[in-house]
Amino acid sequence: MLEIVGLLMLGLFAGTLAATLGVGGGIIFVPILVSAFGLAQLDAQGTSLAIIVPTAIVGAVTHARAGRINWKVFGVVGAVGILGAAGGALLAHSTDEDLLRQIFAVVLSILAVRMGLRTRRLWQASRAVDTG
Amino acid sequence: MGFSWVKAGLVGLVAGFLSGLLGIGGGVIVVPGLVLLVGLDQYSAAATSVATIVLTASAALLAFGIGGSVDWPIAAAVLAGAVTGAWAGARYMHKVPEHVLAGVFTLVMAVAAIRMYF
Repeated sequence: MLEIVGLLMLGLFAGTLAATLGVGGGIIFVPILVSAFGLAQLDAQGTSLAIIVPTAIVGAVTHARAGRINWKVFGVVGAVGILGAAGGALLAHSTDEDLLRQIFAVVLSILAVRMGLRTRRLWQASRAVDTG
Repeated sequence: MGFSWVKAGLVGLVAGFLSGLLGIGGGVIVVPGLVLLVGLDQYSAAATSVATIVLTASAALLAFGIGGSVDWPIAAAVLAGAVTGAWAGARYMHKVPEHVLAGVFTLVMAVAAIRMYF
């Protein structure tokens, strides 16, 4: 019973964050399913995907009703993204994964810094509006 | 709004490639890509990213499902909460100021980047 409540709370928290931030939620689901609920890494990844698909459908439909989705951008990113994913999956076993993770970490860090700078500008702009 | 097919395609290519290669979701790349490169605001970038995740996560699930490694009872319990949260989040997102949204997203990105180093 306690476990079910925990799983529900995990879903509620991650689902809200995923829909408002635009991510799948795997970054939250996978580590928690492994560490708190004892799933093996591979099972946690599969289970995480099974949660993400319906959650993203509900999020996307609700966003679409609010008129927030840029459909042209969605078409391009979705189509090219699936091709890119297929290519990545084909190469997955023939490349040095540690090196790739490090490259990915660097790319993410650069993007995070740029998003952080943009966030600071947005905060300053909102303060300027507040104080008139 | 000015919109570059090439830039959007580049975002899709990099995000898709990395998610296929490393098994991570594309959202953490798609959202900053759409904001910084394509020029969408935080709301539109998040919404558009969620829609692309429907496609990419479905494809990944089909590929993954063959291995039979989905714990359905656990998935069902988490889903009940996640679907409710996704609806509420998407329904009331506009009430959250953009600078707060961007701040939380930056924090999540930083955590993702740190996790990737280890």
